[in-house]
Amino acid sequence: MMIQDFAAFSAVREAGLAKLLPGKPRIAVGMGTCGSGNGAEAVYHAFSSEIDARGLAVQLVPVGCFGFCAEEPLVNVWVPGHPLLMLHQVQPNHVDGILNGLGHGHLPPPEIVLCKIEEWDHLAGHVKYGTGYSDVPNWNEIPFFDGQVKIVLRNCGLINPDDIEEYIAIGGYQALYKVLIDQNPAGVIEQIKASKLRGRGGAGFLTGNKWEFLAKAAGPEKYLVCNADEGDPGAYMNRNEIESDPHSLLEGMMIAGYVTGASKGIIYVRAEYPLAVLRLERAIEHARAYGVLGDNVLGRGFKFDIETVEGAGAFVCGEETALIASLESHAGRPRSRPPFPAQKGLYGKPTNINNVETWYNVAPIVAKGPAWFTEIGSPKSAGTKVFSLVGKVQSTGLVEMPFGTPLAKFIYDIGGGGTNGRDIKAVQTGGPSGGCIPADMFDTPVDYETLAQLGSIMGSGGMVVMDEDNCMVDVARYFIEFTHSESCGKCVPCRVGLDKALRMLNGFTLGTATDKDIAALDELCRMVRDTSLCGLGQSAPNPVLTSLRHFRHEFEDHILAKRCRAGVCEDLALSPCENSCPLHMNIPRFLQLYKEERVEDAFLSVILDNPLPASTGRVCQHPCDNRCRRAAVDESVNMRDVHRLIADEVLLSDKFDTMVGRVLERRQEPTGRTVAIVGAGPTGLTCAYYLALLGHDVTVYDSRPAAGGMLRYALPEYRLPKAVLDKEIELIERLGVKFQFNVNVGEQLTLNDVGQQHDAVFLAIGTWKEAWVYLPGTELTGVIPALPFLEAMSRGQEVPVGKSVVVIGGGNAAIDSARSARRLGADVTIVYRRERNDMPAIPEEIEAAEHEGAKLVYLAAPHRIVGDKNGQVRAIEVVRTKPGEFDTSGRRRPVPTDEVIRIACDTVILAVGEKVDPDFCAASGLTIKEAGTLEVDRYSLETSRERFYAGGDLITGASNVSNAMGIGKKAARNIDRRLMGEERVANLIPDFAYQMEPPETPSQSGRHVPGEMPAAKRVQSYAEVSLGLTVGAALEESARCLRCDVRSVES
Amino acid sequence: MTEKVKVRIDGEVIAATAGQTILEVARANGKYIPALCYMEGLSAVGACRLCMVEVSGVARLLPACTTPVQEGLAVNTSSPQLESYRKIAIELLLVERNHVCAVCVSSGHCELQTLAQDHGVTYVRYPYNFPRLTVDATHPRYVLDHNRCVLCSRCVRTCAEVEGAHVWDMAGRGIQTRLVSELQRPWGESTTCTSCGKCVQACPTGAMAEKGWGVEEMTKKRAVVSRLSSIREGQ
Repeated sequence: MMIQDFAAFSAVREAGLAKLLPGKPRIAVGMGTCGSGNGAEAVYHAFSSEIDARGLAVQLVPVGCFGFCAEEPLVNVWVPGHPLLMLHQVQPNHVDGILNGLGHGHLPPPEIVLCKIEEWDHLAGHVKYGTGYSDVPNWNEIPFFDGQVKIVLRNCGLINPDDIEEYIAIGGYQALYKVLIDQNPAGVIEQIKASKLRGRGGAGFLTGNKWEFLAKAAGPEKYLVCNADEGDPGAYMNRNEIESDPHSLLEGMMIAGYVTGASKGIIYVRAEYPLAVLRLERAIEHARAYGVLGDNVLGRGFKFDIETVEGAGAFVCGEETALIASLESHAGRPRSRPPFPAQKGLYGKPTNINNVETWYNVAPIVAKGPAWFTEIGSPKSAGTKVFSLVGKVQSTGLVEMPFGTPLAKFIYDIGGGGTNGRDIKAVQTGGPSGGCIPADMFDTPVDYETLAQLGSIMGSGGMVVMDEDNCMVDVARYFIEFTHSESCGKCVPCRVGLDKALRMLNGFTLGTATDKDIAALDELCRMVRDTSLCGLGQSAPNPVLTSLRHFRHEFEDHILAKRCRAGVCEDLALSPCENSCPLHMNIPRFLQLYKEERVEDAFLSVILDNPLPASTGRVCQHPCDNRCRRAAVDESVNMRDVHRLIADEVLLSDKFDTMVGRVLERRQEPTGRTVAIVGAGPTGLTCAYYLALLGHDVTVYDSRPAAGGMLRYALPEYRLPKAVLDKEIELIERLGVKFQFNVNVGEQLTLNDVGQQHDAVFLAIGTWKEAWVYLPGTELTGVIPALPFLEAMSRGQEVPVGKSVVVIGGGNAAIDSARSARRLGADVTIVYRRERNDMPAIPEEIEAAEHEGAKLVYLAAPHRIVGDKNGQVRAIEVVRTKPGEFDTSGRRRPVPTDEVIRIACDTVILAVGEKVDPDFCAASGLTIKEAGTLEVDRYSLETSRERFYAGGDLITGASNVSNAMGIGKKAARNIDRRLMGEERVANLIPDFAYQMEPPETPSQSGRHVPGEMPAAKRVQSYAEVSLGLTVGAALEESARCLRCDVRSVES
Repeated sequence: MTEKVKVRIDGEVIAATAGQTILEVARANGKYIPALCYMEGLSAVGACRLCMVEVSGVARLLPACTTPVQEGLAVNTSSPQLESYRKIAIELLLVERNHVCAVCVSSGHCELQTLAQDHGVTYVRYPYNFPRLTVDATHPRYVLDHNRCVLCSRCVRTCAEVEGAHVWDMAGRGIQTRLVSELQRPWGESTTCTSCGKCVQACPTGAMAEKGWGVEEMTKKRAVVSRLSSIREGQ
């Protein structure tokens, strides 16, 4: 039907409305490329055949995508008079149930109901679906949609993209009609200028100004080009916009055509987007057939036509001069500007190029006015931007948010935070030309200027979230590999410079680069950025430059420590478990040796990697679990409990003496060098053990009467029996390590004395000072710090604990205190200010505390402690907090409310953290950091004083056993290298010949967990709670390992 | 385009004609700005990026060869940063292909070699690529040695813009970019090549040479190409 007057236009709109809101149920299946990829085709066909088979009066249509990619396929179901229901993750087997419910007014199964839409603002039009379904949340009550403002995506996923009548029904082509009737081109350009609309392709140039250049350019022949050559990896907003709503693009271009005097529009679209091309071509065909496009647009005498040109996939053709070259059938290579396309563009004629998304903003601005538009967004960047939020967040998809929204909102609120509890590390904005912004800068508002300040760009709106499993060096390498292969080769910096940058980055991922390469890479990337011909080369170094700026330590780790913390750079890691282990235990080796039933070899393998395998086997935070690739099959291998059993089998049996002998065999010839170690905690013991094995004469000083540090004096007996620890320490002693107990270095013995008597000194005194919260009432009797309480418990001393105890804190010390107090017969309540998931304690320990009867109160901050007239604690008042904004740690900041709760108690245990003894640090004369810890060189661990090294909690602040031991091991390696001038630690490991092939049939059984003493029984005693794995279970567990350490198998 | 403008190059006020590029004005007034892909008489493409200069009021560096002058423009042709970037660009060109001056016909008359000498590039800080490249000696009179090609495209433009034959073009992308003759046919089999040899004269290095010369013996008559071009323009 040709529309040549308003009556015809209205008639088409009525016809469209009758399709959008028919007198019968309407089912719309989201069938963008994304939906189809997730099975929407099958769902559509299932609906289609079932509706036919049942002869139902139901209208079935395909629509585009509503943006929630993680929940595809999405299906809308509308029954007249009711809200539009949005269903998610719909499969063909749901079709039956959905159709059954339709006839009877029943809702589909709750697990597939996502949300409802009662009415929708299409900006140029408004649709009222109906009210009801009170149990179903509104669309913007879903966290993923909350805060989204749909301007560009106003029609996506709601109308049939292949039906021009539906587009006209929701107000489509009205803005064009208005512009043609008003006949005021300059006024429209003024409107666009006043709206401050900026180019959405990335550069952010003011669209109105560009149009004005074109309007003023002479000549009858002018071109409008839509850049739909969306090539950024991970960005697909333009594809979705075109697939879901092609007519909005045509309308935007036609308005611009009229006001700038252009008569031809060209849409340069990627050939890799076949569905977008198809829908665009159909839309153009329909627009011509309806008289919306052609020689007499809407009967108003305006001539305009649009054609599509498919780009052949060169990334550089997104650059406007290269795009023009490509349109002219030349090779897609950019040229220098000036002349700018507005002066000399396609075929030498004035040309204006805008990104897809820019065109989508035109009709709404014309329809609703620039003032409406500038109210949305930030002062310099008006309106919204569509982002494709992908990567390591729970909810991925297309997100349209006003400019100025902080990154944290995207990543934690909309994205739902990290997957599998991983910490988010950074977000990469702007595609391969953008930069990486670290998590501690997530309060940054997203707009053109602020992103540029951080060295990144808005780009086309890609947002790739990265977590601790992503290596920033590898990420930078990946993007340079991409841009290097997409460089057109014309200018020297981009062609050769990126090639060199890639080779240098490869050197980092292989660990072969040197520390000079960091500066060289930085200089080269600046040169490429500052001297390249076009935007590709100028922006390609951004990922490297921002990573060097915000993640320099990762580059340094790769070359100075030869470590890739994320475990991505395979040449720097044995296996994911080994890489995540602070002690870098060769876990696959001991599992394989144990599987081969070589218990003694397995023990030797374990003990040479970790001198306290039975202790860590009980209390380690097991980071290996989070990295195990077996988790992709079912659950991770229980590596910690296997090495605990291996250790127990030897340490607690008559094999002990034999095995001490086998460890002694590995001891190197005496070197004649002496080393002093201050602190017999896990860090000091580990360092002492390795230095003794390496042949040095080692003396350990400790102020307490026995070795073990926190393991002995803070960890409760029920978690770590002292008999086990004693055996481990005995082994260390039998290697020749000398202990001097009850010696307080700094008092009886000065650091100078120690330094004079030894060739090197290692300080590892830990964090024995309890942090203190200052709140009214801490002076009362019955308020006790956690560490002295735990120490008194482990020494078997009497502790001043009453009948009802409140523990403040959420770390392991808090949980240990609570469980110990339970064993003293007290009622225990743990008060923590954040949410449970935020508690730093090991989750299994928190659970165990609950089983043992400890009550947990989350989201409550201590307010004051109330005493009686004798100065004895009577109660504690806590303020209810509510989760507020996300802080830069990715946790919600607790915000106090007015609600105060009073908990009656006679004892308050404060477990809010531990810190380094400031007196020791001050007396040492060594450089101290702001946090109160000792300053050391990150890699050598040397303090400000030569030959004095420091490690453990003394340099990191309160951490955990395995981290502390890892630093002790690193210190031993560094001290030995300094003393002997060569790398010798590897000499300690004998050649264990064992199978180096992945198992043909890994054990199919699930993860084995050790048995536990029943909760009711364990609160009666201090006996160990965990019973450990049985030999059978451990054998089975070791057979579950997939052997990631095997790189190649000879066939 | 005969409007006269005044520009300032390295502090010196110079009269110029609007539409001239910074490089043209500088060269006409004896100011040195290094360049490799630029050649008088050919269109400017801004590929080698050696002629980048600082222009006051502009945050970015601009190529002198394609930036037109306008009234009041103030240009800085040299600074520590520009020098450092030019050195890097020269080093990148030297490591990209296999430039072995000791066996090159153009040694002593090579623009890349001269640039390296002028900018104190006595060694390179990047590893050599050592690509395996071919030599096309199929033409009876000339030879093309890809090992020495810097992809400046002067031959391409000379052939297309001065001779009008367009035998040469660039194929491939990025570091794989190669000069090709006529649909990748060997030069000797080209049906459009007129064997005029102007491309050889335009080549800044030993990549294109006349057969029969030994090491250091090939000198090029670049002025011929420029002169021809200006004669044609005059017609």
